[in-house]
Amino acid sequence: MITYDRVTKRYPDGTVALDELSVECPAGEITVFVGTSGGGKTTALRMVNNMVEPTSGTVSIDGEDVRSRKPAQLRRGIGYVIQQVGLFPHRTIVDNIATVPYLLGWNKKRARARAMELMERVGLPSTMASRYAFQLSGGQQQRVGVARALAADPPVLLMDEPFSAVDPVVRAELQEELLRLQSELRKTIVFVTHDIDEAIKLGDRIGVFRTGGKLVQFGSPETLLTDPADEFVAAFLGRDRGIKRLSFLAAKGLPLRDRPVLPADSPSSGAASAAGDETWLLAVDAGRKPLGWVSTEDLAGTATIGDAPLHPIGHPFDVETDSLRAALDAAVLSPAGSAVGVDSGGAVVGVVSQEELGAAIRGGFGGGVT
Amino acid sequence: MKWDWVADHVPDLVELTGQHAYLALLPVLFGLLISVPLGVLCVRWPKLYPPVFGGANLLYALPSIALFIVLIDYTGLTSWTAIIPLTLYTFSVLIPNVVDGLRSVPDASRQAATAMGFGTTRRLVQIELPIAVPVIMAGLRVATVSSISMVSVAALVGLGGLGQLFTDGFQRDFPTEIIVGIMLTVLLAFVCDALLVLAQRLLTPWARARVASR
Repeated sequence: MITYDRVTKRYPDGTVALDELSVECPAGEITVFVGTSGGGKTTALRMVNNMVEPTSGTVSIDGEDVRSRKPAQLRRGIGYVIQQVGLFPHRTIVDNIATVPYLLGWNKKRARARAMELMERVGLPSTMASRYAFQLSGGQQQRVGVARALAADPPVLLMDEPFSAVDPVVRAELQEELLRLQSELRKTIVFVTHDIDEAIKLGDRIGVFRTGGKLVQFGSPETLLTDPADEFVAAFLGRDRGIKRLSFLAAKGLPLRDRPVLPADSPSSGAASAAGDETWLLAVDAGRKPLGWVSTEDLAGTATIGDAPLHPIGHPFDVETDSLRAALDAAVLSPAGSAVGVDSGGAVVGVVSQEELGAAIRGGFGGGVT
Repeated sequence: MKWDWVADHVPDLVELTGQHAYLALLPVLFGLLISVPLGVLCVRWPKLYPPVFGGANLLYALPSIALFIVLIDYTGLTSWTAIIPLTLYTFSVLIPNVVDGLRSVPDASRQAATAMGFGTTRRLVQIELPIAVPVIMAGLRVATVSSISMVSVAALVGLGGLGQLFTDGFQRDFPTEIIVGIMLTVLLAFVCDALLVLAQRLLTPWARARVASR
């Protein structure tokens, strides 16, 4: 556990970077510091490994003041990942990752074996071991950065906007990867970002900072979205706060209709009546994989419903693992106004309309918080 | 060109070349040994750099022959009379490269090193200086070649080296000796430069790969 006790950072010119911060970052969880620039979040982060010294107050790890240890000793036990990665251009990837083990005096063989293990863990092919940093893409470099931070298995990991410099697709991959690693490793992570969506996706706890180094609110993502402390936090969360909140509600348990779901080779003549008052039918293949939506108006003159024009479904949602937000998004994208729910194998379980989703949301629906 | 003269004087020419290399390369080594720590200090305290750089430039402007003559009063006809001025010249060539080389270290790499628990000295030796090597090497090549060229002047005050072939050749109006002197000086410079390039390739495979990938 990392504890900030009334921590202030005031620079000689009078600027206050951090103002009386008191907060606890629980062990084994991801605590995200988010906020506007000049909010002091990076200052707060860099106090944990004593890269910045507080003007007053104390920062402690498991009850021990970080300033009671020699900085170099302290830092070898704390992983550190930054936006620009900061790989060493003159060392190979494997030796970059083995940096802290080398500092701790491990022999070369053991340090490299550990580095190779980590490369696999963060999804880097072992063929990259002998390459240099400039030969890697930005996303690959940041994977090396994460592996390097984890090399000596430190209990604490500090991450300062680690994924801000890569493109959105790679960023999403790296975020998923971090969550996967964290579910295995259970590190105490402090993560700084200016991206509220990243904070909500990754954070077990989120601290919102405002210019002047003030912590405005500290709580779980759900708490922030449901009950922002003030206008600043509400504005920071954005005009889609309600939609974002749906990310924490599971789609599991939504009422799903399977009446409009028909095999593509169903005769058109009986299809309309079989579907009752449904105006859109979902054509599926023999394995119940969705093929597309068919309007009942287009059925005239066709032999099977698969002969009618098929409208793309957008994307389906996984009824077991996806959130209400994913289901709602699927429904909004669908020409039929209904979201297609599939099982883990991609087979259609049923469909749910925007109206039904609306009712579920109004009813405070929740199959549980994901 | 009288080849039989060359054939008759091979042992002398070898000795002069060796003497020339000694007088030229020792100052390069000394210059490097002065430039690196001073460059490190200039990067640590940036205010130090402008006066050091300005001073180094002024040193470079001093005519070498004048320095040789002045020094004869103190060091006489010893190697030091050549080595001291050439060390100063090497220093003035190298100091900007050492400083630029250290400044070429990416700030993120320096910060990451600190955050991973490198102390100042270890960071300098294991991270900053190795990353600065290509830039320092570029300066070292210039310094080496110019030192080999400049040491010829030392012959004017009787300090030996291949420059003796010029003074002797002029006095005796014997062009072969002058041409051989020029050729050996250039050859020595070429060989030393090639050795430095080779050393750099071995020392910094990462920098070579970087150029190749561009």
